[in-house]
Amino acid sequence: MKTPQPPKLARKLFEWYCGQANVNDLLGDMDELFYLNLTGKSVFRSKLIYWRQIFSLLFSYAVRRRKTQSQSSGFASSTLSLSMLNSYFKIAARNLYKHKYFTIVNVLGLAIGMSVSLLLIVFYLHVCTYDNFHVNKSEIYRVVTSHYNTERDWELAGAPFSIADDLDHGFTGVKKIVRISAGFSADAVADNLDLPIRGFYTDPSFFDVFTFPLVRGNASTALSNPNSVIISESTAQKIFKTTDVLGKALELKNVRRAKDSIAVYEITGVIADPPENSHMAFEVLISLSTLPAEYQSYTGDFRNVSSYGFQYVYLLLNDNAVIPKLQTRLNKLSTEASKRADAKINFHLQALTAIVPGPDLSTLGGSLGPTWENEGFIIFGVICLLILLPACFNYTNISIARALKRAKEIGLRKTMGGLKNQIFFQFITETVLITSVSLLGGLVMFYFIRREFQTMLVSGSSLNLSLTWTIGIALAAFALFTGFVAGFFPALHFAGLNPIQALRNQSHKQSSQGRIRKGLTIFQFALSFCFIIGLIVFTRQYHYNLSYDFGFERENIVDVQLQGVKPEQFRNQFSQLAAVQNISMSSHIMGVGTGTQMTASVDSRDSFEVYQIFADHNYVNVLKLELIAGKNFSNEIWQREKHILVNEEFLKQFKLGTPFEALGKLILIENKEVEIIGVLKNFNYTSLLRPIEAFMIRTDPSQFQLSNLSVRFTDAYSSLSEMESAWKAIEPEKKFEARFFDDELRESYDFYKMFLKLVGFLGILAISISLLGLLGMVVYTSETKTKEVGIRKVMGATTASITLLLSKDYLKLMMWAALFAIPLTIWMADFILPKLQEYHVTLNFWDVLLSLAILLTMGLATIASQTFKTASTNPAETLRTE
Amino acid sequence: MKTYLGEFEELVLLTVASLGDDAYGVSIQLEIEKRCNRSISIGALHSTITRLEEKGFLKSWLGGATQQRGGRSKRYYEITQAGKKAVSEIKSMRDELWSLSKVKLSVK
Repeated sequence: MKTPQPPKLARKLFEWYCGQANVNDLLGDMDELFYLNLTGKSVFRSKLIYWRQIFSLLFSYAVRRRKTQSQSSGFASSTLSLSMLNSYFKIAARNLYKHKYFTIVNVLGLAIGMSVSLLLIVFYLHVCTYDNFHVNKSEIYRVVTSHYNTERDWELAGAPFSIADDLDHGFTGVKKIVRISAGFSADAVADNLDLPIRGFYTDPSFFDVFTFPLVRGNASTALSNPNSVIISESTAQKIFKTTDVLGKALELKNVRRAKDSIAVYEITGVIADPPENSHMAFEVLISLSTLPAEYQSYTGDFRNVSSYGFQYVYLLLNDNAVIPKLQTRLNKLSTEASKRADAKINFHLQALTAIVPGPDLSTLGGSLGPTWENEGFIIFGVICLLILLPACFNYTNISIARALKRAKEIGLRKTMGGLKNQIFFQFITETVLITSVSLLGGLVMFYFIRREFQTMLVSGSSLNLSLTWTIGIALAAFALFTGFVAGFFPALHFAGLNPIQALRNQSHKQSSQGRIRKGLTIFQFALSFCFIIGLIVFTRQYHYNLSYDFGFERENIVDVQLQGVKPEQFRNQFSQLAAVQNISMSSHIMGVGTGTQMTASVDSRDSFEVYQIFADHNYVNVLKLELIAGKNFSNEIWQREKHILVNEEFLKQFKLGTPFEALGKLILIENKEVEIIGVLKNFNYTSLLRPIEAFMIRTDPSQFQLSNLSVRFTDAYSSLSEMESAWKAIEPEKKFEARFFDDELRESYDFYKMFLKLVGFLGILAISISLLGLLGMVVYTSETKTKEVGIRKVMGATTASITLLLSKDYLKLMMWAALFAIPLTIWMADFILPKLQEYHVTLNFWDVLLSLAILLTMGLATIASQTFKTASTNPAETLRTE
Repeated sequence: MKTYLGEFEELVLLTVASLGDDAYGVSIQLEIEKRCNRSISIGALHSTITRLEEKGFLKSWLGGATQQRGGRSKRYYEITQAGKKAVSEIKSMRDELWSLSKVKLSVK
């Protein structure tokens, strides 16, 4: 019978607890007592006593004392001394220098991987500085609105002015309230050119709450009177060529949401240009009292979101303790509003510092400035990880594969008393050294992609992506982090090496580390595969959009911007041109996603939002829209809207039965009754991103913005110059602006080009990282197998058979990667494409096959470049050197 | 009196002295348990030994591994000069008190 042993677990626990402290004698004592106990007591009882002894020691002063002693002893090895770190650095540097090839592969891969993340870090840190310049930033809050009705959910950045009125009367704790009505836009005349100007209407308290310094004028009175305007320095410079403009008049045209479309305001202040990192961007501030009275407060019933979506309410609180009380008040107002609107409306507070980066809020009728959403950062972050992780895996893979070369060193270190965590830190240090070098490489790349990235973003121009100290520290931390991620597995592997086996040159745990390596490689290639397939599918989607049959004519139509010219005058002038076949007028460009919505109802039944376009009687002919019932508008001058054309979807939405039944039905729009005189076959009036819904063509001539000319060109150039001279005859002041309709349609999908560029760029990064990793692995295996190859060749193997032998494993890995990636991409295509576009392509067999071919070709080229070289070396050379 | 010596500390010191060359963890524990007829925990014993070492009354060295101990060495203890002084001070104080006793203390 085997003699019973003291309980192992108890011993392990004790050893773990004691760590470096010398407790051998105590364990010996306990073993002795255990065997002594065995002579008189049962095994179970003896073990129980052993456990009791362990616990009595665990909490004893003796062990505590020994532990503290061991830490302060001169031979203590748990602390990392500076000289040790120094030595690690030296060894690491020598190793990296010795294996230049792998160092280059690693650094290159990591630099590529890190460059995108650098962009994210710099970008994010910049966005985090938004609104930090406000002195009262921690006490400023704005009221935001959640509006849920049966049709859709809104998360609005604004809130109705009625809240400001309510809080103004009988609510203590709010120091100042600012109301902002966004979406002011007008044209100022400077140098005979129209200079578009944007800004807000706001209260005088604007300057008490926000920190925007006035260069000239008095902040407390500048916005007190109606028709006062504060202008930014650069805008003043542009219009007046000076900033000394106090008291001057600012003449504006095409003013939106004002009493008249032409206005003259008095300049009462000049403000320093708002900083780029402000969530409010404006060129002018106009006193809120300038607005018509109905816009200065909110008296609506909250039913229509767009009736208050452009109103913003900002609060400066006395201190943040008032927030719960304030929220209770807002809840009360929410309940009232919900009742009136028959929707679920909820007003709540958003801290100024949480606006950018912050949640994605709708800004109806006018946003305040650039915003950056949290979601965007999360997506960007995931993409960065998808690029960074494969680069880290490369390092992990190559390091573990080459473990055999370092095994002797580690075996020796361990024999000489090197501890696990020392070896772990040695390798982490080595990795951090590599990632630091890569960081520099990544920075170089960052400088190249920075500008490209800025142009890619809509409001990228307001981004300042220069390097600062905080960013420097963040980047150093990032290099450290990457070093940890990349070096963790190899360091753990090396630290766990058994010194005896290592010194005997026996590798251990071959199978498990092989599995990790294979897994990582498969992951990389699966990712590359996804990028390739994404690129192919999105390219197809782009071309699909361009060649899609919208259901209307797009060739040989020229759109001319009317720019205020009377439609009739235009028609008379242009109908004389030979190239012009037909002339129609309309308010929007069809099929590009612009257009407006209007609430329409039949009798007093349900009302729906309906897409609308204003057009004349020729529009149906010029665009060759198909009437399935009724007739087109007649050629008369409409003083009053009487008729509309609708599409089939409109009939479905309003349950008007068949097209013939629908004719003559009356529809209520903007309190006017109009008659359906024709039904059009469904066509894609808006962009392909959205489904065809209810749509109507109305006839208000005052809405016409552009003229659609059906043309037949023999010589496009001379015809266009004829048109231009015809234009000059009517409106010599303005530039002739004409575009081909199909160009306009094509351009509306230009974002796909941007998207393709982005996917393509990221794809190239991901693919090159995986190829680099593959190259590193192949070089390593080929190197270690030179002798084997030499012997095989001597025995009669051909170059081809050896190339195949060396490549086989990697080919298998790539096939595995494809096997995992194909179902994934099929699922993603099903998931993403319908979200992206209502009318979309589907992933097909050829996409998959083509992607697979591309992946395999690139992989094979990489593998073959090395394996072939190894296979074709002369065996005499490889076998001679022993 | 210069140093304070607890009852259990005194007991340990005297046991170490009585064991001579063979004073190590197990032997001390067994000796005390046998002589005093009480069971003591190994944690309490070693805490006391550690305190005595800190006070300079005991010194120790490693040696003598046996098979029963899983090849682990023993830590032997020896009473130091200071230790001897401490126990003898206590003894002389007690003797003095015994001799001054007005009642007959020894009971048979």
